[in-house]
Amino acid sequence: MFRKVLIANRGEIAVRVMRTLREMDIATVAVYSDADRASLHVRMADEAEWVGPSPSSESYLRIDRILDAARKHGAEAIHPGYGFLSENADFAGACADAGIVFIGPSADSIRRMGSKTAARQMALAAGAPVVPGAHEPLRGPAEVRRFAEQYGYPLLLKAVAGGGGKGMRRVDENGELDAAFRDAASEAERSFKSAELYVEKLIERPRHIEIQLLGDLHGHMIHFGERECSIQRRHQKVMEECPSPLVAARPGMREAMGDAAIRIARSAGYHNAGTVEFLVDARGDFYFLEMNTRLQVEHPITELVTGHDLVRLQLEVACGEPLRLRQEDISWRGSAVECRVYAEDPYNNFFPSPGKLTRLTRPLGPGIRLDGCVYEGWTVPIDYDPLLAKLAVWSGTREDAIARMLRALREYDVAGIHTNITFFRQILEDAEFRAGRLHTRFVDEFLERRPQFTPPPELQSIAEMVAAFHHQRGAARADASPPAARSRWLAMGRDEVLR
Amino acid sequence: MKENNGAEIVAVEPGVYSVLLEGRSYEARVEESNGSVIVFIDGHRFEVEIRDPRRRSRHGGPPGGEGRLNVAAPMPGKVVRLLVAEGDSVTAGQGLLVVEAMKMQNEMKAPKAGRVVTLAARQGATVAAGEVLAVIE
Repeated sequence: MFRKVLIANRGEIAVRVMRTLREMDIATVAVYSDADRASLHVRMADEAEWVGPSPSSESYLRIDRILDAARKHGAEAIHPGYGFLSENADFAGACADAGIVFIGPSADSIRRMGSKTAARQMALAAGAPVVPGAHEPLRGPAEVRRFAEQYGYPLLLKAVAGGGGKGMRRVDENGELDAAFRDAASEAERSFKSAELYVEKLIERPRHIEIQLLGDLHGHMIHFGERECSIQRRHQKVMEECPSPLVAARPGMREAMGDAAIRIARSAGYHNAGTVEFLVDARGDFYFLEMNTRLQVEHPITELVTGHDLVRLQLEVACGEPLRLRQEDISWRGSAVECRVYAEDPYNNFFPSPGKLTRLTRPLGPGIRLDGCVYEGWTVPIDYDPLLAKLAVWSGTREDAIARMLRALREYDVAGIHTNITFFRQILEDAEFRAGRLHTRFVDEFLERRPQFTPPPELQSIAEMVAAFHHQRGAARADASPPAARSRWLAMGRDEVLR
Repeated sequence: MKENNGAEIVAVEPGVYSVLLEGRSYEARVEESNGSVIVFIDGHRFEVEIRDPRRRSRHGGPPGGEGRLNVAAPMPGKVVRLLVAEGDSVTAGQGLLVVEAMKMQNEMKAPKAGRVVTLAARQGATVAAGEVLAVIE
């Protein structure tokens, strides 16, 4: 096993990877930018190296500086986390050239899965179902029109080099096509420096369900079942669960999806951890969407339900050990839910809310797992993704896991910045969510119909009392008078006297 | 409007208050935001505007001048005693009525010298924050 590993990342995932490294008695090397000197991953690491100014293009995305740091500190391997360089084939290749193990798939596998059209072709060749679509980059709207004649509207235009919803346009009829094509191409050009588009039949209100895989360097690969990731906002997952309520209710579906995912990954010569994403329609038919060639943000719920540490398995297979687990060793117990807690304001269109955390109370107790990177007094930098923590819970059934998550969210208190904690509570209380009727438009539709979250009437007056009490305490402190608890009424009297 | 006579507030952590009211326990978390106080109780968000007489006098000039002035309840409570009657002349700072909240009795005073033209408060009545109790002219 490795003796020292560098984590080419920041935030909660750097902390999460370090936790396993520490349990395995492997030394940890953090890298950090100017904005992250005081961040938890630096505080936690055994060693740390500055890699540049705050913008990630000058620090966390600098392959040369990350490799210099690894060499300087004598790290034998690099864990890329997710985001940043994790799906960068050049980085994986540069690690191999430098004689440092990249904890992930080969540069070749990343490259083959990185192009969406190439990945589709691979899935087709592997006999896996794909959404009907054009498999070559489109030359123009005329080509889309011919496709529409065959498969009908609605369609989805997507960027070949894309991801995260950029360069994506829905087209409902012929008349919209030219403008949609133009917009999608220019957005793709701006976002990915490639205007190439492809077209797919749009599956209305699909579920997003993905399969977790892990393979060793000796050709052995297994799956760890599915995660339901249909709760998304602007094409970003915000809440995930394992198992999927749909898959759990359909005998054989997990096995069928797992087999398809393994076939696709094998055709790319894949090893290490990866995730194959599927769209699932109302009938339960699933279609290959894309493969993520890294550890996923939402991996903890799979760990909670299967009982395996995916980061540990990543490390073991990366250093060449054979994967000892067989498919029949993997079982799924109970139910897990994860909420991505972001520094954003759900009362103000989910605007990012960076700033200083003035108070932090974390949920504790049975069945709670919190993967975070924040502490009281820390300032959330404006430079990166505003993910503060992933709160995951486990319980015996989906219903109990939802109840536990609601309980945990009630205990969770973050002050100084806005978070989406209350938003999760509203979704978890929603009847449609509880019934498991999920799809990728769920959050949009929920926000449209969101019932007023009306507080019990007595809370308004309690809030007023507390506000006045709080204000008075502040005034008392400001006046340097004894900070005795005094009521607003006494304050009134005193203020009148002062005048 | 609930009576608040039994309410008890304890500051437990910076910005966190424990409230006991009629045998029920509430936890309120407070954040300040330009002049108003945001209170979170059990995931519900309340924005409470603070009417601070001192601040008003600093920014808006002394309120002891011309015209009518309202005496309003700065927070919910219960009127326990009236000290003046409608039509009485009062001096600045003279007690008008006593309101009880959070187990404490508090005297509302005249903001200026003048005459009590309206006394809306009734003994024993529960009042809401911002409710006008008296008008001095």
